[in-house]
Amino acid sequence: MLRFILIRLATAIPTLLGMSFVAFAIVALAPGDPVMMELRAMGIVPEPEDIAALKAQFGLDKAFLPRYLEWLSRAIRFEFGTSVATGRSVLSEIAIHLPATLALAGSALVGAVIISLALGTLAVTSNNVAGAGLRGFTILLVSIPSFWMALLLIHAFVLQLGWARLVGDGSAWDLVLPALTLSLGAGAALGRVVFERVRAEKSEDYVRLAIAKGLKPLPIMLGHIAPRIIGPLVTAWANTFGGLLGGAVIVESIFGWPGLGQLILQAISQRDFPVIQAYLVFMGLIFFVTSLLADIVVVLADPQLRRRLNGD
Amino acid sequence: MFQPRKAATIAAAACLALTTTIGPALAETSLTVAVKRDRYSVDETKFTFTTRRPAAQIVETGVKPDENFLPSPLLFESWDYSDKTYTVTLREGVTFSDGTAINADTAIAAMKLYDQGKSDFLQIDQDSLRKLGEYQISFASEKGSALVIENMTHRATSLFGPSDNRAENPIGTVPYVLESYEPKQQITVVRNENYWGEAPNVDRLTFRFIGDDNARLLALQNGEIDVIGEVTPQMMLSMPKDGSVVLHESRPIRYVALLANLNGTAPFDIVQDYQVRQALAWAIDRETIASVLFDGRGVPAKGILPGWMFNLGDDHTDGFGYDPAKAGAMLDEAGWTMGSDGIREKDGRKLSLRLVAAYPNVSTVKPLPEMLEQMFAAIGVDIDLIEVDDSGVYGSTYLDTGEADLYMEFASNNNTDPTYLLYNLFTSTTAWGGYKFTAPGPHVDQMLSQARSAQTREEVIELVRQAHRAIVQDDLAAIPILMVPNFTLSRPGLQVPMSEYADWIDFGRVTFEN
Repeated sequence: MLRFILIRLATAIPTLLGMSFVAFAIVALAPGDPVMMELRAMGIVPEPEDIAALKAQFGLDKAFLPRYLEWLSRAIRFEFGTSVATGRSVLSEIAIHLPATLALAGSALVGAVIISLALGTLAVTSNNVAGAGLRGFTILLVSIPSFWMALLLIHAFVLQLGWARLVGDGSAWDLVLPALTLSLGAGAALGRVVFERVRAEKSEDYVRLAIAKGLKPLPIMLGHIAPRIIGPLVTAWANTFGGLLGGAVIVESIFGWPGLGQLILQAISQRDFPVIQAYLVFMGLIFFVTSLLADIVVVLADPQLRRRLNGD
Repeated sequence: MFQPRKAATIAAAACLALTTTIGPALAETSLTVAVKRDRYSVDETKFTFTTRRPAAQIVETGVKPDENFLPSPLLFESWDYSDKTYTVTLREGVTFSDGTAINADTAIAAMKLYDQGKSDFLQIDQDSLRKLGEYQISFASEKGSALVIENMTHRATSLFGPSDNRAENPIGTVPYVLESYEPKQQITVVRNENYWGEAPNVDRLTFRFIGDDNARLLALQNGEIDVIGEVTPQMMLSMPKDGSVVLHESRPIRYVALLANLNGTAPFDIVQDYQVRQALAWAIDRETIASVLFDGRGVPAKGILPGWMFNLGDDHTDGFGYDPAKAGAMLDEAGWTMGSDGIREKDGRKLSLRLVAAYPNVSTVKPLPEMLEQMFAAIGVDIDLIEVDDSGVYGSTYLDTGEADLYMEFASNNNTDPTYLLYNLFTSTTAWGGYKFTAPGPHVDQMLSQARSAQTREEVIELVRQAHRAIVQDDLAAIPILMVPNFTLSRPGLQVPMSEYADWIDFGRVTFEN
């Protein structure tokens, strides 16, 4: 297992390097000059030497490749510089906002897993008409964009029922509505995965044998089918978690949730290069870590893979 | 016989009665204002960036703009400019919120802080700062400018007191002190009991940062906030008309105009022909546009600076009416004849113009771009409409490269320096890159350069007046369309003291009608 993890870490190095280059290049080559944008927003009549000094301060006066190499050498040490907009270190910015986004994406994932298991198993066990209805419902949920879902939920739970606040103070209760917004669509998409996997497994010989032996549906589901599908499901959950982190940007903005989404939206509009670059790198790292964890779970859940890795 | 239970009940009832009696008299007034973005910066070397609304509640400036955008006393009681030297008398008896007196020494220290920033906003000659008396100082401009006091009405020039950590403990002289700051969430300020001036009406001010326009409006309707500080046309369109949301407005200050590319190369050289620009100006139905946009609260514009500003007056520009026939005749005269497809042609070239609607973002002027497209199509002008919702893309892709014919902008001279807007947008020497394409030529460069170095205000204003006329009338570098007020929205029962200068809307002076 250790060898497997080490190999996975080693193969990640070129991926992460490539990702860092793309993250840097996207931001560096994007149109928009942060210095001029800030100066115009401030209503300042700048002299050319003022502009040159600000560009030098932000390192924008150097060529692309030296800038990238300099940035990479610092990024390896997790030194991403200072935010152009706020003056705080970029790492502080990430530290302030990352927990809120992880809480949102994490709780949305939990919600999505629960919804998906419920919808998927219900669809499998229902009769043809109810099953088709459930599958249609999941297609509807998947099709609704998150910003629209957010507005629907706000209308229902904030404006009509008064059960929730729109702009809370970051408390756990304020997390419910944004997490629900994200988890409905993600849960529906995962529900279809659950449905397909369970249906495929149900036609396998070992399930027929269990039925022939007189086992009830629930023990068959939990004792026989679940161990077989947990690997693919964990992989799907890991991918979904990454998607939720990205999807959180819009939802955070609508609900005023103080996460990375708010940070990145503002950073993009202000061309806050150091923040955008660090955000992209962190998102890549989180993706990598979650997929690594998913791979480990898959290995642990599959005896054949475990044996192969142990060289048996 | 003493009965403890009965005594306790009576005591509790008395306390309750006392609380309910004195409660309303001691009730704290609080106000939550939603703003779009957290603009607070903690960088010591960029501290001027920290003073935008809402942090502007914490520190104040030497002078403030009066109703005509002229400087009026605040921490500076009076000032004089002669022989290229400013002499300022400070208001006596003012202290910073930590109790430090504001006097010549602390004022000079505060003004020297500006040299720390790379954006030397005031352009004060730091070596010239002199203490003339306990409450009197003098200084000179690096550039010999007579407009330093005008520039000091900008919130970015607020005077900070001494502080070990200006980010977490900003010291100012204003009615409020910082209570808490949660990045991207909210800033709360509370009343400064030692404020030198008139006490504000609001005890506790909270600024919530809500980026989404819909969310700001819904939060107001849901009673979670009291005021919306940044209002878009879409919010005004979707605003309920049942009285549950109240609109407050200033005088018109912001202009919507088409800036013409006067110095572009082919194919973006068509509007270099003055007759084409004139035709476009006469083809715009400003009355209809005014009735559609901004809930009908905009007014047809004769220029890009309102007449009330700096006492410029309204009679130095003529403006343009709506006369499509006249516009068509002008194009005929310029040699652009109507083609069979309804688009004019000249020497085999179609009268096709690229119009970029972008600044500050296209959502702030919707559906004006489409309305203009239709109005120009009616006189045989084909519009290649590009809508960009990002000012960075706008700048780098279209403005700095000169790759458009017309640039729609929604902005204002948000500065008490009368030369600020015209100098930056219409001179070939502008530091704002792409606006060299909208510069009419050396005559306007000269007028504005002279205005910036003029030594009396009257001289400055007269030159600005001449330059403004050249830009919006004689040279038509900017085709004026609308003038629009500043807006805020509130729940019913509040009176918001509006200002044309958004940074000077004093939310602490909001009055509660109930």
